[in-house]
Amino acid sequence: MSKKDKEKSSEDPKIDEILESSRRDFLKKVGIVGAASVAGAAAIYSGYRYEHAKSDGESVKVLTEDNRLVLIPKDQMKDYKPDPKRLLLRGRDGIKGKKWVMIIDLSKCRNARKCVNACQGAHHLRPYEYHINTLQMQESVNTPAYHMPKPCQHCDNPPCVSVCPVDATFKRQDGIVLIDNERCIGCRFCMAACPYSARMFHWQEPLAAEADKGKEYDIELNVPQKKGTISKCLFSADRLREGALPYCVSACPNGVFYFGDENENAVTNGTTKETVNLKELLEKNGAYRLMAELGTKPRVYYLPPKNRIFDFEKGEEQEYKELT
Amino acid sequence: MRRYFFGLLLIQLLIPTLSAQEWIVPADKKGKLSTFPFNDETRKAGEKLYSINCMSCHGTPGKANYLPLVPPPGDPATEKIQKNNDGEIFYKVSVGRGQMPSFRSVLTSNEIWNVVSFLRSFNTAYKQQVMPVITSSAYPGAVIGLLVSFNPADSTIILKASATSEKSSVPVADAEVKLLVKRTFGMLPVDEPQTTDKEGLATFRVPADLKGDTAGMVLVSARFTDEDVFGSAGKDTLLNAGQKVTPVSLVAQRAMWNNVRKAPVWIILAYGLGVLIAWGFILLVLMKLRDIYLVGEIVSSDKKE
Repeated sequence: MSKKDKEKSSEDPKIDEILESSRRDFLKKVGIVGAASVAGAAAIYSGYRYEHAKSDGESVKVLTEDNRLVLIPKDQMKDYKPDPKRLLLRGRDGIKGKKWVMIIDLSKCRNARKCVNACQGAHHLRPYEYHINTLQMQESVNTPAYHMPKPCQHCDNPPCVSVCPVDATFKRQDGIVLIDNERCIGCRFCMAACPYSARMFHWQEPLAAEADKGKEYDIELNVPQKKGTISKCLFSADRLREGALPYCVSACPNGVFYFGDENENAVTNGTTKETVNLKELLEKNGAYRLMAELGTKPRVYYLPPKNRIFDFEKGEEQEYKELT
Repeated sequence: MRRYFFGLLLIQLLIPTLSAQEWIVPADKKGKLSTFPFNDETRKAGEKLYSINCMSCHGTPGKANYLPLVPPPGDPATEKIQKNNDGEIFYKVSVGRGQMPSFRSVLTSNEIWNVVSFLRSFNTAYKQQVMPVITSSAYPGAVIGLLVSFNPADSTIILKASATSEKSSVPVADAEVKLLVKRTFGMLPVDEPQTTDKEGLATFRVPADLKGDTAGMVLVSARFTDEDVFGSAGKDTLLNAGQKVTPVSLVAQRAMWNNVRKAPVWIILAYGLGVLIAWGFILLVLMKLRDIYLVGEIVSSDKKE
């Protein structure tokens, strides 16, 4: 009791009583809270000790991304799920400092169709749904026939992107034209605008609709595919992200495809893994671009079908021969 | 040399079909042998490589299920291919011909030997000869190293090969070396492969269109051509030998096909103006309707009076 309190108490006994009782109450409360917090802390501590003891018994070996083997308590494991928003932004942005370019050497293509199969496998497409297709070409009656793989040309002036009303298809800084199946409304304007017929429409439930259910949508792979939306060649953006060559390029058994970065002035053959000077390759072989007169500025170059080392065979006949 | 050349020419003229049928391997490459003995381990490694790189055309050895190409690729387990000696198979796999691609830049020489080891496992009569490693005789116990430096004066890259042992360091002369530059998906050769001189030096001309990063740096890798003799001794160095390249984003310009923020200015203005005019007109109509209503009020109150 301080002096002030004593002075106060001499003034009025009632006030004194109130003060006295409130002090008693206060002390009581402090006591209860103190006891409760001690008990709580004890409980939390014992819980912690229990958890600690429990997880000591069950640890799991986990391999981290940088190849370290670490032990992690089993109860602290969480399933890894990539952040969809981050994936989307990354997919829209593209890879900095790159300018992808593809060269297709028509003198080597003999319609093995391994590029087509690899692509369909990667993007979960049916045998009659194409991101890349090998066409049988013949300009006129007296000129020779040849096979021509035709992926999306990833134009620098893409008409498909200009006409998209919902910003579903877009161009990235590394030159790739992608489509976001989550945004696509299936109006098919882009199919009408594309002079290369490089786009396909999912009229029916996609091939792997059941298997891909619940999978996180990857804008750089177009998987899971969605019914009622457009799908197209992506230059295998997911593989480029890992520094690997596109699916079609590495699947070709005949060395048809070269792929690389225009900024480095070098392209690598998918079959022989030979890296060559891009400008020299284009100049020496008289490269051209499909329908360049349209001003679409394709990023895919073709080397003309000269000095071919095989006879042209119609695809069906050839497949029949392989079967029998 | 000239007589030899004419002899070859004569053979070519006399039997024009010979060069089309027979696959001639240069005499100095024929005798090439593996530096390691073939065993189960090399066979297994070879089988893996075969299934990735060869099976699509040659099929499974012993099953004769190769692709019906012209000329036929053939089954590696048969006499036709097995009658080649090791050096010949090695040469044909690495160089390729016609529809058979070259695997020189796909597989290392050790990997090709592993494939040969796998193919030989189908040949019961085969007895392997192993090449004695030359390295041990030429530079016993020495560590072979390569040093590269860039000379900006005449834009050449100078390579120095030396064998360093505990006692001394001697230059590696008469060895073929190649220079490669790291690119996104592979290694780009710089100039032709060169042979080191008596001082162990070799000079490579840097092409004018060699692109570097924003600072002009390139990662240069020097290697010996003959990996069998020198092992895979290599040296990776960052050199300031390339052109400076400042990458430009392909979506930097304003264009119809770009995103909304990068739309052409005239489109943004025209669209904005269009929206304003349309809404302005609607607003005008509403105002007029209100005026009509007010006039009606006045007229009806006049009538009541």
